Amino acid sequence: MRKVALFVAFLFVGAFLLLGVADMRPFGEPQIADMDDYYIANTQREVAVNNVVTAVVFDYRGFDTLGEATVLFAAVVGILALFRKPREDER
Amino acid sequence: MKNNGMSIIVRTVTRFVYGLIILFGFYVIMHGHLSPGGGFQGGAVVASAFALLLVAFGSTGLKGRLNLHWLQTMEEVGALSFLALAFLGIGTAFFYNLFANSGGFLFGASVPTGSNAGVFAAGGLVPLMNWAVGLKVMTGIAAIVIIMLVGSRKEETE
Amino acid sequence: MIVQSILHVVVLVLIVIGAALAVWFKDLLSSVLALAAASLLVALEFYLLQAPDVAIAEAGIGAALTTAIYIIAIRRTARKEEE
Repeated sequence: MRKVALFVAFLFVGAFLLLGVADMRPFGEPQIADMDDYYIANTQREVAVNNVVTAVVFDYRGFDTLGEATVLFAAVVGILALFRKPREDER
Repeated sequence: MKNNGMSIIVRTVTRFVYGLIILFGFYVIMHGHLSPGGGFQGGAVVASAFALLLVAFGSTGLKGRLNLHWLQTMEEVGALSFLALAFLGIGTAFFYNLFANSGGFLFGASVPTGSNAGVFAAGGLVPLMNWAVGLKVMTGIAAIVIIMLVGSRKEETE
Repeated sequence: MIVQSILHVVVLVLIVIGAALAVWFKDLLSSVLALAAASLLVALEFYLLQAPDVAIAEAGIGAALTTAIYIIAIRRTARKEEE
């Protein structure tokens, strides 16, 4: 029963992947390219930075970097809570 | 074995290489607004140097050089300075780049449009945020590796 | 252009081989090293696709730090995979 369910799920995922590949654009020709044209045209004037990727990460999409920093902080706190030495009065 | 490090070949190569890796990481952070890379990538490179030291010399090889409480404090300093830099432009919007094109002393120069070699003293808040995130990532990942090595060793001896 | 296409195909096939070896090995240390090689090849593929930022991050995180953490974990636990 479990193997049949897994096989059906495998067939579905494989079919969707094949459909996606059949509908794919040619390599290096993206279909929708509005925002990146804006970034490439205006980054040097607005942010005064040559590296467009850094400008996007730290200026236009700063909230994403804030979320990434939060994820790293949560990882450090979680591993610290997992591996810390228990105090004497907690044993 | 007392100190659970690796063989002498690994230790010698590590002794030659780890300074160069740390230097390259600081270069990636410092030039994050000019060249590929940035705070996260440079911090990961520096933290990989720390991880190399830990794997090669074992947990006893780093005693006195990297303090765990100091690492955690620096990680929180990085996170809070990133938030403070984001709050600097709250008069206009969150994450507003206040210092860009201001002409002031803090990375306020302008950049000519088109293809150019890049201006180091430009970018406003972007280089400062690079330093904040780089500090946070390098100390955070080094703290993760050190906690895993030291904390699991304590359980083994008991 | 044709040389670049051949390079893409070679690197992608090597990535798939490395990932399959990482699953197939019973020795966990060999498996981790195969995973590190696959990750380094992923970084090379990002560089070939002209994304050097992601390539630096992948080489630092995927190939170095993940390998170090896995090696520490393997040293504390078992070396061989149980049947």
